[in-house]
Amino acid sequence: MVRKGLIDRRTGLFLVVLFAVIVLIPLGNLLLAPGTAGHVPGYLLPLLGKYLCFALLAVSLDLVWGYAGILSLGHGAFFALGGYAMGMHLMREIGDRGVYANPVLPDFMVFLSYEKLPWYWHGFDMFWFACLMVLFVPGLLAFVFGWFAFRSRVTGVYLSIITQALTYALMLAFYRNEMGLGGNNGLTDFRDVLGFSLSDDSTRIALFVLSGLALAFGIILGRFITGSKFGMVLVGVRDAESRTRFLGYRVEHYKLFVFTVSAMLAGLAGALYVPQVGIINPGEFSPANSIEIVIWVALGGRCTLVGAALGALIVAAAKSWLTANFPEAWLFVLGAAFVLVTIFLPRGVIGLLDGLKPGGRHRHALPQAAPEPAE
Amino acid sequence: MRRLLPLLTLLCLAFGPLPALSQSLEALIRQLPEGSFSDRAEVVAAIAATLDERAVGVLEALGEGDLHQRKADGAILKVTGRGSKARAFDPLTGEELGPVPARSTTAIKVNNALRRAVRSGIATLTLMHRDPTRRLAAANAAFQSADPDQLEALGAALAAEQDASVAEAIAQAQAAALLASDADPALRVEAIETVRARGGRDALAVLTPLRASEVPLIAEAAAAAVAEIERSQAMWARAQNVWFGLSLGSVLLLAAVGLGITFGVMGVINMAHGELIMLGAYTTFVTQELIRGHAPGLFDWSLAIAAPLAFLVAGGIGVAMERGIVRHLYGRPLETLLATWGVSLILQQTVRSVFGPTNREVGNPSWMSGAFQLGEMTVTLNRLTIILFALVVFAGLLVLLRRTPFGLRMRAVTQNRPMAAEMGIRTGWIDAMTFGLGAGVAGLAGVALSQIDNVSPNLGQSYIIDSFLVVVFGGAGNLWGTFAAAFSLGIVNKFLEPVAGAVLAKILVLVFIILFIQKRPRGLFPQRGRAVEA
Amino acid sequence: MNETQLYLNDVHKSFDGFKAIDGLSLAIARGELRAVVGPNGAGKTTMLDIVTGKTRPDSGRVVWGADTDLTRLDEADCARLGIGRKFQKPTVFETLSVEDNVMLALAGDRGIVAGLRHRRTARQSARIGEVLDIVGLGAERGRLAGALSHGQKQWLEIGMLLAQEPQLLLVDEPAAGMTDHETMRTAELLRTVAGAHSVLVIEHDMDFVRALDCKVTVLNRGSVLAEGSLDHVSANPEVIEVYLGR
Repeated sequence: MVRKGLIDRRTGLFLVVLFAVIVLIPLGNLLLAPGTAGHVPGYLLPLLGKYLCFALLAVSLDLVWGYAGILSLGHGAFFALGGYAMGMHLMREIGDRGVYANPVLPDFMVFLSYEKLPWYWHGFDMFWFACLMVLFVPGLLAFVFGWFAFRSRVTGVYLSIITQALTYALMLAFYRNEMGLGGNNGLTDFRDVLGFSLSDDSTRIALFVLSGLALAFGIILGRFITGSKFGMVLVGVRDAESRTRFLGYRVEHYKLFVFTVSAMLAGLAGALYVPQVGIINPGEFSPANSIEIVIWVALGGRCTLVGAALGALIVAAAKSWLTANFPEAWLFVLGAAFVLVTIFLPRGVIGLLDGLKPGGRHRHALPQAAPEPAE
Repeated sequence: MRRLLPLLTLLCLAFGPLPALSQSLEALIRQLPEGSFSDRAEVVAAIAATLDERAVGVLEALGEGDLHQRKADGAILKVTGRGSKARAFDPLTGEELGPVPARSTTAIKVNNALRRAVRSGIATLTLMHRDPTRRLAAANAAFQSADPDQLEALGAALAAEQDASVAEAIAQAQAAALLASDADPALRVEAIETVRARGGRDALAVLTPLRASEVPLIAEAAAAAVAEIERSQAMWARAQNVWFGLSLGSVLLLAAVGLGITFGVMGVINMAHGELIMLGAYTTFVTQELIRGHAPGLFDWSLAIAAPLAFLVAGGIGVAMERGIVRHLYGRPLETLLATWGVSLILQQTVRSVFGPTNREVGNPSWMSGAFQLGEMTVTLNRLTIILFALVVFAGLLVLLRRTPFGLRMRAVTQNRPMAAEMGIRTGWIDAMTFGLGAGVAGLAGVALSQIDNVSPNLGQSYIIDSFLVVVFGGAGNLWGTFAAAFSLGIVNKFLEPVAGAVLAKILVLVFIILFIQKRPRGLFPQRGRAVEA
Repeated sequence: MNETQLYLNDVHKSFDGFKAIDGLSLAIARGELRAVVGPNGAGKTTMLDIVTGKTRPDSGRVVWGADTDLTRLDEADCARLGIGRKFQKPTVFETLSVEDNVMLALAGDRGIVAGLRHRRTARQSARIGEVLDIVGLGAERGRLAGALSHGQKQWLEIGMLLAQEPQLLLVDEPAAGMTDHETMRTAELLRTVAGAHSVLVIEHDMDFVRALDCKVTVLNRGSVLAEGSLDHVSANPEVIEVYLGR
């Protein structure tokens, strides 16, 4: 046997707290009167749900960056694609309740005088199809992109730069009205999902709980992958890629697999994000967004999964609070976080916590300085 | 034969209406209502022959049917408006003579033949104007109208013309008019040749319908000429695209060449490069503000003053970044990427807090405004200046890296750090200076870009991705690769734009580079040597 | 015993005009132990790169066993055929434990699905212990490989090579950074391994080569200068000129 446990202590602790939150908040809202302590106001639920989606997105990036050493600066693209797939379903579900009351065409298409639905919009009226696309579209893009990139052994910063170019190109494309996806404005004015109104507190609670479950699923899946021999090979690829090759491992297949899985998780996060914030637009593709994901992971502590989730929660909460209270300060804080974390906190908050306990160093932990490539 | 024609018309003009010629313009105008239409046509010809500028207005009024004779005294008036709104003007001076009582005047009638005579007369008058630019404009107008009725006038004007370029234009107009007539096919084929030599869109408009001519000889010649003009137009369009491409390429080169040093030569990712460009642009803005406030006379020198300042500001920040941050992260490129991105956010927000989020106005010095015409393409001076500036900066860098002790040390450090240190080179200092140099060049780029782009805190963000792609596409570590990549991408982009639209062209270029890097991860011109292969 | 394991015939490879390998021909028999020596830049490492699929030769044939063309294969293919390689600079997975390093090297399915479903069997654990004992790292089993000393990393890498159970071991300067005692132990180990496996050792250290007590090939400027016993090649005036005589 000797397979290391699927859930280590740290992950277990995180999951317990997560489950407690997604059970207690709905329970509190069910039992307690609005306005009392313990009853979370309806407007706050989507915000909390949003944080959980970001946490899942961070976990997906940690899977490729922390473990396989692939620093994707385009993970926001997979998130946005998942979001658009869900957004397209929500658009179709508006039906004839739009401003122009067209039963088939969403408002923006009527406005742009479309004659009929573009081919790629077909099928999105079915929820199951949209869910399939939420995973399939980001997965396919990651697979095709990764197929070429990993086969030609594009690594390191070169890979980072072209992933950034990828999301930039997608952003420009989605800004075009000709894409048939709402151009500048994106997709918005959603009414309901599966017949439940998006403005009902009960729907909000359900989405919040689903986001929490998705995050838990992402972490457990990540643990399963990284805890296996496959995960060890990934770490091997990160630390000494050529050694892994000379041992007979097809490095490009390993990378491709984890990259695709990661993109699908990011797509899932995007799909849960869209009904909670009520809009998806091309801004989600902006390269700056994708780099922000990286600081979540770095701040929390990469190569730990829960660290990434924690980092996302911390940064997202800080962003909400700062942009509301000190809007000018936000970019200073974010910029300083990038600088300070990379120089003084290479193992993130989790590494800091580990450092407090003797012998708490995690296996697979990052080396203090990246080893030089074995050549 | 062709040369005889204008001579003949001139002779007719000179000797035909001889009695009328000797009379004054005023007297001639009074004769307009008299006689048959053909008599009046003779009078019109005589009026044109006076070459009196004032006659143009008279003939125009006649052609429009606005010329009236007052019943009371037989005076000739120009009348505009109808009924109670009718007003009279002196046809020669344009002076207003007050309202016209109903039925107090009779309009001078014109038929088609007379209208032709009027048009011909006006052509003569304008073509014979004493101002050559007016004559040229008239010739060009005549070319466009291609009116066979003006043939006589054109011939006469051509015979009298002294200015070579105007004469050429008149001859072309004559050819165009001839083509619209039913003259001898051989003559018309010759005219096609004249029109073809003119080229351009006007010529195309004259020749295109002739391809359907019933005379095979003419149809053939016209088709050949049209094809020839279209070829030449396509060539000019290509030239224009190349020019736009060079212009875009020079911008890309300026933006990327600093990265070519920090990323290409040192191997350090500087995501704040775009913000250093932005700081260069803001330095230009501040310099211009100070000059406007204290020494407005120096405004034309503002860019020359701003350039070294921008180099120092951006370079200084670069040195500070290297010493404070990048130095601690050597050998960890991904971490460097993140830390410098953090710096870029801080710089952006600083500028936003100090100068505000909106665009700031940076002026063009007078010597950079304007444009000149090269063949059929327009060359704007600011773009030309930027191309030259980019080339100068690039050449300066090459000289600095290849021909100076600093460049030698820099190359020594990047190629073999321990050995360079052994030889007594202060590697830390060289690192800082090299990084500062790359940053300073970004500042210079900012000075140039402030002339053509919006100066806002977001300026840098729009260049950073392009810059990296240029460096990677060209092959990191090779400044000539950056050069080739910048210009080829610029030109490709501008050739795609007319076909695909600006945004789609940009997307296509991005996708192309993404695919290209995957095919050749080391770019167009990879660093050579075994060390790289390993 | 005389069956050929690896055969290079008239191989050429140049990098931007520099002829790293220039008409190299070499044959290694099954089970043979061979030492390759030569001055810096003689093309030793490039030769290993070509044999392991890392570098594609410009021309020439590289044949594995009876008729497998190695020039068309990449690193993973070559490794799967049974070619193991130890780098000049010890390269182990620094953030994995010593035993996990060996585990990754153990012969077995290299596929993704196998990697996800993998459970370590008692037999594998025993094999890992066996290998670690051979290389003297039995006590370091649970430590992070990054925490090992330079010499220990060399041993670990050799252990990984053994765990891989290749038919041909390519060993690039194993003695670098080892004590004299360790050097001799390495030579002894390689001698034991040979016979069951073919072994090709690249080395600068002449004492080590002597201890290997095998046929020696001298490379110079990308081709074979001399071949034979160490005493035989040491007596060759050309060899003395380019290499030993310095």
